Amino acid sequence: MKTRALPLLIAAATSMAVLAACSGGTKAGSGGGSGGSKTLTLASIDQGSVEDVVKAFEKANPGVKVRYTTSGADQYQQQIRTQLSSGTAPDVMSVWPGNGNPGATYVLARPGYLRDLSDRHWAARMPEAIKSVAQYEGKTYTAVFGQNGIGAVYNEQALAKAGLTPPDTWTKLLDFCRAAKAKGTPAFALGNQDNWVTQLVQYALVATTVYGDDRDFDEKMQAGQATFAKSPWLTALDKYVTMERTGCFQKDPLGTNYEASQGLAATGRTLGIIQGNWVIALLEAKNPKGRFTLRALPATDDPSKTLIPAAAGAGYGVNAKAKNEELALKFVDFVMSPEGMNLFVKKQGGLPSLSDTGFVANPSLAELSGYIEAGRTVPFMDQLWPNAKVQQTMLSGLQEIFSDQSTPKKLLAEMDADYRAGS
Amino acid sequence: MTTAPHEQLSDHARLPDAEPVPRVRGRARTDPPWWFALPAVLLFAFVVLVPSVRGVYYAFTDWDGLDPHFSFVGLDNFSELFRDPDATQAIRHTLLIAVSITVVQNALGLLLALGVNSAVKSRNLLRVLLFAPAVITPIVTAYLWRNLLGPDGAVNSLLGAVGLDGLRQDWLGSPTVALWSVVGVIVWQFAGYSMVIFLAGLQSVPKEVHEAASIDGAGPVRRFWSVTRPLLAPALTINLMLSIIGGIKLFDQVYALTGGGPGHATDTLSTLIYKDAFTLGEFGYSIALAVVLTIIVAVVSTGQYAVLSRNERATS
Repeated sequence: MKTRALPLLIAAATSMAVLAACSGGTKAGSGGGSGGSKTLTLASIDQGSVEDVVKAFEKANPGVKVRYTTSGADQYQQQIRTQLSSGTAPDVMSVWPGNGNPGATYVLARPGYLRDLSDRHWAARMPEAIKSVAQYEGKTYTAVFGQNGIGAVYNEQALAKAGLTPPDTWTKLLDFCRAAKAKGTPAFALGNQDNWVTQLVQYALVATTVYGDDRDFDEKMQAGQATFAKSPWLTALDKYVTMERTGCFQKDPLGTNYEASQGLAATGRTLGIIQGNWVIALLEAKNPKGRFTLRALPATDDPSKTLIPAAAGAGYGVNAKAKNEELALKFVDFVMSPEGMNLFVKKQGGLPSLSDTGFVANPSLAELSGYIEAGRTVPFMDQLWPNAKVQQTMLSGLQEIFSDQSTPKKLLAEMDADYRAGS
Repeated sequence: MTTAPHEQLSDHARLPDAEPVPRVRGRARTDPPWWFALPAVLLFAFVVLVPSVRGVYYAFTDWDGLDPHFSFVGLDNFSELFRDPDATQAIRHTLLIAVSITVVQNALGLLLALGVNSAVKSRNLLRVLLFAPAVITPIVTAYLWRNLLGPDGAVNSLLGAVGLDGLRQDWLGSPTVALWSVVGVIVWQFAGYSMVIFLAGLQSVPKEVHEAASIDGAGPVRRFWSVTRPLLAPALTINLMLSIIGGIKLFDQVYALTGGGPGHATDTLSTLIYKDAFTLGEFGYSIALAVVLTIIVAVVSTGQYAVLSRNERATS
């Protein structure tokens, strides 16, 4: 028995070794993937818009082939980190601005995974607010092509039917909510079951209450001179709770998901939704005859002080170890050219990050464009936070406040503790 | 999960009236040589064991899943785990869900099995219908239920339609109800699975024994308790093992139904591991959580198996 077992054992071991070698080879092949110098690899989160940009890029560069994958943000963040740490990442990849999420500029640039793009012609032309989140230690790493804003997106037909007009002060906002509720159509849809949605109303209120009187709040936080708990963040959070208690939102926001909230606003079962401008395209898809307009959400009784959270959207970075660096740079340059940029923002329903692209904004976004031009915007709050935990604590905490498991004070103290833990 | 039917078959083979296995070529029946298992063991070692054991090392580091530079932090991640209220809460939820699922799913599975094992007319159709949810991907059923359980979903509408407005709930949005909604969805999906295993057990109970008991004057309850129950012991062991392990490892349904929310009200160890690793980039810590999860599964399933197999021996 033993003499016969030996050859079998060797055979089995050899086959295992072959198997291991094969699998290793396949992995390297699919990751590096490019082969000839005319192929570019790309991983993107811009599903639904990157396709057109890739097509236009291939057309402008005959013979070039872009091999790309698209995925949702959660899945993408998981995939790109694994690929970067194992040396199998694509040449160009989606990168979020600033800090605060696992695929953000600071997070990926710090260990040296991104190529410095400061030498590109567009790098110096980005507006200051965007530069601050596209750069890490003074060098530009992310090609940010679009900006987004958060506000109240109104269903114009539903508004007309209810005979109400969008409020421009805090007092009028609460009156608006009461009047809407009395007519049986709540003012705003809120899909707080998906925890990322919980932050949007809060950001819209924080923009004015916190930054209206103190544009340097972030610098003070970074220097340890301010805290969430002892700042107007508490006022904003109280206002959020007041809105809920006044009946500004439909019943059971915690049992309503993002998808369901869109349905409510699109079909006029609420008068609007507090969301980012990206929701407009989704509302139009659900109700092609509907007309939707984004307006600033007031948080004080002085309309001239109202600010909108508007910030750089996710852009593209180049792998520091790109297999085809030349083509990768060509691609990000194309994304930042008027043609590429306009293609992207038109499809996504946002606004371009550079001013001179000749882009004609969707009339729904006229107010947002005006605020951006007038400099009455502040970045999304999480983009300058030192780690991803602060935001996650806020998202779960807001759900807990809505379900009476926590209080605004307790949440802000927890966010302070996470902020102080640093990067 | 797919091992269940095979184990069930081997249990059949041990029934007293099973035919003796015929001798092959005159040689005494022996166990196959150990090296028959070698390719499978090697494959398992390379694909599962080695990566898993190597992965455990990271539980003792502060690796963020990205930066190649990280440091060894000893047992810090494990001591942090006991200070982290989210983690202790997740462990509590995990055990609560696992125990509830195990009890309810198997009780219901057994009742269904007894029902469809009787002589009801449409029993074959019922068997198919009751088993059907178990063959659907959990993520699909979870998204389906997410809509059914919404504030304006079918469940609340149905309650309203039959005049039970008082029972309408925010099924997934209320922290006190959400956990039980998750348990309900899982029981709905897998009760049929338990039923099939019990049904196989029931059908192996010889009719003659039942008839003999009837002649001796035993009623249906007595017959179930003294005849069916002991002979169902192997099926019970398998069902309890599968549901407790499945319950402890539960991830997809919870993540799709509630994402662990509202807040952390339905977070299980698995959803927390996912969030810590992929949302917060705390790989070292989340691997420490995964190690704890593995230990819990090992301890609970070994303990349960010891008790159940003693029970099997006692009743056989």
